[in-house]
Amino acid sequence: MDVLQIAILGILLGGVYALMATGLTMLYGVMRVINLAHAAFMIVGAYIAFVLFRDFGIDPLLSMVVTGPALFVVGVLLYQLLFKRIADNPRFTEMTVLLTFGLALAIEGILGSIFSNIYHSTEPSYATGTIDLGSVFIPTGQLYGFIASLVLLAALWAFLYYTRPGYAIRATMQDRAAAQIVGVNVDRISALAFGIGVGLAGVAGSLLSYLFTFFPGSHLQWIGLLLALIVVGGLGSLAGAFVGAIGLSLIAAFAIDQLGPEWSYLTFYVLLFVILLVRPQGLFGKAETI
Amino acid sequence: MALLELRDVHAGYGSGPDILTGITLDVDEGATTCVIGPNGAGKSTMLKAIVGLVRVRSGEVRLDGQRLNDLRPDQILDRGVCFVPTDRSLFPEMSVRENLVMAGYSIDDKALLGSRIDEVLEMFPVLAERRSERARTLSGGQQQMATLARAWIVRPRVLMVDEPSMGLAPQVTEQVFDVIRGFRETGMTVLLVEQNARKGLECSQWGCVLDLGAKRFDGPADSILANPEIHELYLGRQANGNGSASDG
Ligand SMILES: Nc1ncnc2c1ncn2[C@@H]1O[C@H](COP(=O)(O)OP(=O)(O)OP(=O)(O)O)[C@@H](O)[C@H]1O
Ligand SMILES: [Mg+2]
Repeated sequence: MDVLQIAILGILLGGVYALMATGLTMLYGVMRVINLAHAAFMIVGAYIAFVLFRDFGIDPLLSMVVTGPALFVVGVLLYQLLFKRIADNPRFTEMTVLLTFGLALAIEGILGSIFSNIYHSTEPSYATGTIDLGSVFIPTGQLYGFIASLVLLAALWAFLYYTRPGYAIRATMQDRAAAQIVGVNVDRISALAFGIGVGLAGVAGSLLSYLFTFFPGSHLQWIGLLLALIVVGGLGSLAGAFVGAIGLSLIAAFAIDQLGPEWSYLTFYVLLFVILLVRPQGLFGKAETI
Repeated sequence: MALLELRDVHAGYGSGPDILTGITLDVDEGATTCVIGPNGAGKSTMLKAIVGLVRVRSGEVRLDGQRLNDLRPDQILDRGVCFVPTDRSLFPEMSVRENLVMAGYSIDDKALLGSRIDEVLEMFPVLAERRSERARTLSGGQQQMATLARAWIVRPRVLMVDEPSMGLAPQVTEQVFDVIRGFRETGMTVLLVEQNARKGLECSQWGCVLDLGAKRFDGPADSILANPEIHELYLGRQANGNGSASDG
């Protein structure tokens, strides 16, 4: 395949990966929570989009106005009911790994009992369309997904850099105690960050619903890929997640072209391994944070 | 009545033992009180307990007669108690200016916050110069200036500073103490913890010796400096690095 063509495909998907990874790295940044249920929440979002599409004919891109807020609420509840209670535990981060993995499997089980374990996807007209540019083509669905991701990430960025709660979230990500000292109610800010993080998983699910096929267990392959992205970018770094996502996705696109489709996931793990050997703190991480 | 009162305060970390084993202390309004004591005495823990970063298990912390225990750190800040920890707690990836904006997080009036930021940039020219650089690129002295600038933005009733001279060159230490003196002259109440006991006491009116989580002595700062017994126990071994343990 043409180099330019491969690059286009890699970048378009990379934008969507960046959206998926941002919520995950944000929760780690704010609370040192490794949310292994993040991808399961994406799948929940995808199923919501699927039902809305199947039963009401609602476009998956439009379904983001449902999946985002719905999962936002789930994130806030999750914080209030679960994480807040164990936040003072000295083994907090280890506990969250087990808890969220359990949660992911529970979500998988519930989805399985509702939808059966067969592949689903939404099929809006643009999902299979292409825009022909002579020597290269742009898949319409991926282009829309990329644009939607960039718009959402830009909105998130503006929120984080230009609003008071945004400042507070960034401050809490950088130093939780220092944030408390300047008067941030870190409890409320953590609840908000959880809502946003899980809400981002929800909107990513809407995109996933037509870009990929999914079944209740597909969160497992996704979480592996997303962890690779955020670890490469530096855990808790939003910029790192973005660069990591685009970069790895580009490399994966070339690897698939050269080495075959099984490299679509393998690339991420190999790159994760190589990058951590060279730079254990990730590309954007500070040495002491890992 | 003292502005800030501690009454038989017990506090510790997590489920560990009490680190503070019943501290009773009065901090007078408008004065600087210096807390000294050996490493691990519980000085930092005491400041953290006052601002709610460490939970008070029993006893009472009162500001103006009103109980502070069980309030969140942000609520305690709203009551007017501001804490500057030893590590300075700037937000490393934020610019100096953003750090100042963050300092005023508890100030709702945007115009007021803006004018206070302008004011501190004028007070600390070095911060004005580096306002758009990330806080982690500042030198230790500049970071200390930035945290003091943050405190000035808040205009607290009680400013608590934990070891401001930590890691600073003598000349810079001098500047830092000058700033703290300046704050006190405006009527601010200061509670200072200082390793360099002589320096700290010299800039204070009241002194207090903490050891093993409880108060051992307190009294006017100059009388503590002159007290041969305290000298022997707590001042001698760290007297300014010039080893003068036995002047009397
Ligand atoms: N986060 C923490 N968790 C558990 N124990 C702690 C923590 N911080 C301090 N301690 C313990 O509390 C005791 C008092 O520590 P603290 O920092 O208050 O002493 P300090 O008087 O400020 O000493 P220094 O002069 O070294 O700053 C020490 O025994 C210390 O090990
Ligand atoms: Mg200390």
